[in-house]
Amino acid sequence: MANEFLEPITEQTFYLNMGPQHPSTHGVLRLFLKLDGEYIVEADPVIGYGHRGHEKMAESHLYEQFLPNTSRMDYLAGLIFNHGYVAAVEKMAGIEVPPRAEYIRVICAELNRISSHLLWFGTYVMDLGGFTPFLYSFDDRENILDILDRVSGSRLTYSYCRFGGVSRDVDDEFITATHQFVERLRSRWDDYHNLVTKNVIFIHRAKDVGVINRELALRFGCTGPILRAAGVPYDVRKAEPYSVYSELDFEIPTGTKGDALDRYLVRLQEMEQSLHIIEQALERLPDGAIKAAVPNKVRPPRGDYYFAVESARGAVGFYIVSDGTSYPYRLKARVPSYGNLQVLTEVLPGTLVADTISILGSIDIVVPEVDR
Amino acid sequence: MGMIKDIVEGGWSLIAGMWVTIRRIYRPVVTVQYPRKYLDMSPAYRGHIEFEQFPETGSHNCVACGTCMRFCPSNVIKVQGEKTHTHSEKRASLYFIDFSHCSLCGLCVANCPTQTLKFSGEYELAHYSRWDGVIDLIQRLEESA
Repeated sequence: MANEFLEPITEQTFYLNMGPQHPSTHGVLRLFLKLDGEYIVEADPVIGYGHRGHEKMAESHLYEQFLPNTSRMDYLAGLIFNHGYVAAVEKMAGIEVPPRAEYIRVICAELNRISSHLLWFGTYVMDLGGFTPFLYSFDDRENILDILDRVSGSRLTYSYCRFGGVSRDVDDEFITATHQFVERLRSRWDDYHNLVTKNVIFIHRAKDVGVINRELALRFGCTGPILRAAGVPYDVRKAEPYSVYSELDFEIPTGTKGDALDRYLVRLQEMEQSLHIIEQALERLPDGAIKAAVPNKVRPPRGDYYFAVESARGAVGFYIVSDGTSYPYRLKARVPSYGNLQVLTEVLPGTLVADTISILGSIDIVVPEVDR
Repeated sequence: MGMIKDIVEGGWSLIAGMWVTIRRIYRPVVTVQYPRKYLDMSPAYRGHIEFEQFPETGSHNCVACGTCMRFCPSNVIKVQGEKTHTHSEKRASLYFIDFSHCSLCGLCVANCPTQTLKFSGEYELAHYSRWDGVIDLIQRLEESA
């Protein structure tokens, strides 16, 4: 890329760096754009500004000690990342999780998914110029953070799932608060639709913008709402059910075209499905232990293991190689935003600069998760 | 005709959105004026760790085994113990945490064999110097007692 700068300028195009410090990239992401007037000719996302070496860090940490790192990869769906890592190690070591702990994990993970989608909803609409919905969605999200704060003791980086269960039991107040929240959010859909979904300006900014069709999404390994908006009903919770998702009844919302509006609608429907899952799980929440008896230091047997869960942005997988000691030999995290971000190289060319904001926002990336 | 329909429908969608905002003006305020008013913290809130005071002994129960020190992912904890009499148990004589590196994961609390560690409810933890993040837990317990 450096050579491109040194070539003499003979054409009518120019380069523009969008980022690394740009309010709509939501993190330190640099988009290297080649422009022809207002149209994008080439786009290249430059990543790695927030690289902290989480995977390397795992090799010098105990299995337990890596736990806080997982929620710092994707800080908006930290609990789901916790769940994925913990479930991977449980699979390695053959730890049986009590059913109550599994249900608590599912309830909290779905709450976390809604909070992530609500934040996305607010910031996406704010990127497009609407400031009011941002405040409304943050008001609702605050309720989730309060609920999760009550059980996990933290608002963003939870470290709530532990090997063999969860760190703290839920009480009746948690259950009533969650029921109240489900009702509250259901009563808010009308406001959201009136404010945003039916808004003519929003529709013009999102409809037929940034079409990621089925073929493109599959080629780049996109997962999550992007893939589902393109019409592929793939969800790890249905495809390879983990935890207690196989016992719960929910649908996978899909789109048809794969444009920004489809991705927006898929996420809104997903929130409704998550509410549905939470209600069922609360109803079936069994009594019993919240943590299995697990030795202080987990020593999984020799071998390599992979476990995937569905985060708010797509499939999260942890591939761990064990050499039989209490330290992982190698850990690789497969994160959804990485694949979802790379699709920009194909989607952005031919679009306007103003649409870049809309497309990037609709993809919903979390940059620390890409950089790790 | 199509253009007029678009204008009417688009205009109506803007009015419908504005109506949501107007109704909102008459709803109660949800924010709290923080430095003047405080919210109650949840009982599970994870502040930095501190010693539990046991009513039987009126003191902590730390035997300076160093489990917390070994489990800490960020090497935050420094603990040393000494025996005061030849047959008595070892007790912590020095317990420091460097909170500026702490990620509040709670592994020390979860693994403490004598359950003498707990989370404090401290949340106003901004400070001016790195040394202000170093907390002496034994001194803190003595001051609170």
